Amino acid sequence: MRSRLSHTLGTLGQEILLVVVILALFAVVGSVNARFLSQHNLTSIFVGNAYIAVAAIGMSLVIISGNIDVSIGALIGVLAVISGLLATNGYPIWLAWLAPLVLGALINTLVGCLIAYAKVPSIIATLAMLSILSGGLITFTGGRWISGLPAGYQLAQFRLLDVPSPVWFMIGMTILAALLMRYTAFGRSVYAVGSNAEAARASGISHAATVVKVFAIHGAIGGVAAVLFATQLQVIQSTVPVGLELVIITASVVGGVSILGGVGTVFGSTLAAILFAAIGSSLIFLNVSAYWLRAVQGVLILATVLADMARRRRTG
Amino acid sequence: MKRLMTALLGASLLTTPAAFAQSAWTGGDGQPTTPLACSGESPAPEPGEYNGGTPTNAPDRKGKDIKVVDIPKLVGVGYFASTSSGMAEAAKELGSVAVSTDGPTRANIDEQITFIDNYITSGVDGILYAANDPVAIAPVLKKALDAGINVVGYDADAQADARQWFVNQALPNGVAKAMMDQLAKEIGEEGSFAIVTSTFTTPNQARWISEMQAYTEKCHPKLKFLETVEAQEDNILSFNQAQTLINKYGDELKGILGMTSVATPAAAEAVQQNGLCGKVSVVGLALPNAMKPYINSDCIQSTILWNTVDLGYAAVEVMRQVADGTLKPGDKTVKAGRLGELPIVNQSQVLLGQPKIFTKADINDFDF
Repeated sequence: MRSRLSHTLGTLGQEILLVVVILALFAVVGSVNARFLSQHNLTSIFVGNAYIAVAAIGMSLVIISGNIDVSIGALIGVLAVISGLLATNGYPIWLAWLAPLVLGALINTLVGCLIAYAKVPSIIATLAMLSILSGGLITFTGGRWISGLPAGYQLAQFRLLDVPSPVWFMIGMTILAALLMRYTAFGRSVYAVGSNAEAARASGISHAATVVKVFAIHGAIGGVAAVLFATQLQVIQSTVPVGLELVIITASVVGGVSILGGVGTVFGSTLAAILFAAIGSSLIFLNVSAYWLRAVQGVLILATVLADMARRRRTG
Repeated sequence: MKRLMTALLGASLLTTPAAFAQSAWTGGDGQPTTPLACSGESPAPEPGEYNGGTPTNAPDRKGKDIKVVDIPKLVGVGYFASTSSGMAEAAKELGSVAVSTDGPTRANIDEQITFIDNYITSGVDGILYAANDPVAIAPVLKKALDAGINVVGYDADAQADARQWFVNQALPNGVAKAMMDQLAKEIGEEGSFAIVTSTFTTPNQARWISEMQAYTEKCHPKLKFLETVEAQEDNILSFNQAQTLINKYGDELKGILGMTSVATPAAAEAVQQNGLCGKVSVVGLALPNAMKPYINSDCIQSTILWNTVDLGYAAVEVMRQVADGTLKPGDKTVKAGRLGELPIVNQSQVLLGQPKIFTKADINDFDF
């Protein structure tokens, strides 16, 4: 009972902590240069990085289930190109938006089956998928960018109530995923499979089916991220964004998702993604080299994992 | 414990010095510079001693019909399609050169080597190449020289002794002059600008930034440099960085210099999405296709690159004269058809000229 309470406080604490750090960052950078807090800059911080927060939702599910996915960056790159090709080749725009979700789910269902049924460790299966997707993308596109996107395709540039659509996607999908994880049998089975696979099996939860479902959902969410990524500008870069998977994994982990599985929430990963975006912007406002962003991310991930392990030793 | 650590981290992050004085533009390489004259022709630098290779026992090709193969980094892309069209134009004008383009469908050095090897075996008079890797391509090019084949590079060079001549599309000081003159023309002599580059250590970009600083101090001393930000070669990151520059400097920012073909269109997009067309200029290196949406909508005025058609044209003109023996080590210029006299630079390179500024008037004539 006590461990469960401190456990709940532990994860909630991470979210509160992230909010405090984000607010502190805003306050300090804003006091150095008030323009940092302009509505314009806050909007750009959210909009330019919402796709990372969205992808981190799926990644959190995967990590909570006790797995990892290093192919998500490549998947987003491939799905963005497919979406762009559909749009520029005269297919309806709704299809160009929907296809990445479906294809992402299909591709990751395959990955999930490899992990769940063929017992390939997730790091290996997704590493293989990373090579296949990124190699295939370069061979297929020859590095050519996709331009000449039709009018109305730029979903990420739409606004509702003067708030850009990526922000709505980020908020909406975070809430949806949080509800799914908290109030459904599926959500509970993901935590169960990730925290203690044997016990989950004994209580009748299908480990394999849960993992496949998690990967399928993760793929579909990756598809949404890919559409947000593809529709932000008027050209789509046909190469895999360097290091994107690491940023997404880092957001999940710093958001409080335990790399050992079984613990974490999607609110945390979204907050962590926002924090990284804010740090990236503040580095420019403070005239600090962008290389520090990577260093800071590295330190944050190390600190979070060390703290997580220390807590496990203490409570477990 | 965790909270403490993260709090410490946050604190250490926030106490980073807010600003530090900068004498040199950030992102430059600090190497010596050779800024061009502010206006008019700059005296051509001494080419120096020839350091290219020589074909072994090449047959006398003077005035004879020659068969030339062009092996670019890859085929099927607009960039090399346009160099090919320039080659065909020169071949047609000369009448004595048969040139064909063949090569890998992806920029792969191993495949490129195989193509060159096959053409050495099948027998050609001349090989034109744009190397995927300067070192890895050298042995097969030397093999071509040993077989008596004339070898001329363009766009991307190999080690100098593995070929005879290289047609260089632009020198760093030429890029610098084109960029800064265009920027001053668009934002005025006293405007403030920031730079979006790939990384501070990328050799080409760092060289260009140093040359740009030297040329600006000499020719546009009142232009105000704000800062350089890094954006790797990442589209979305470039957009976010340009966006942040706009947010940070507000009305003070009059121009953004894009140092890569990724950063320039992304900066243009940021300007357009912020409704700052005409208020913030974007000047930079980019492929015309990527800039067409912004230039055709009058948001951005120009994009800077070399004329790829001219590059291919010059490569064939140089090849003809190398085969004829009329371009020899020690020459200071070479005649290149409609392009006139091109200077010899860097020991064994032919300089195409100054970079081309594409505007709404002609950008739609190019497809790459």
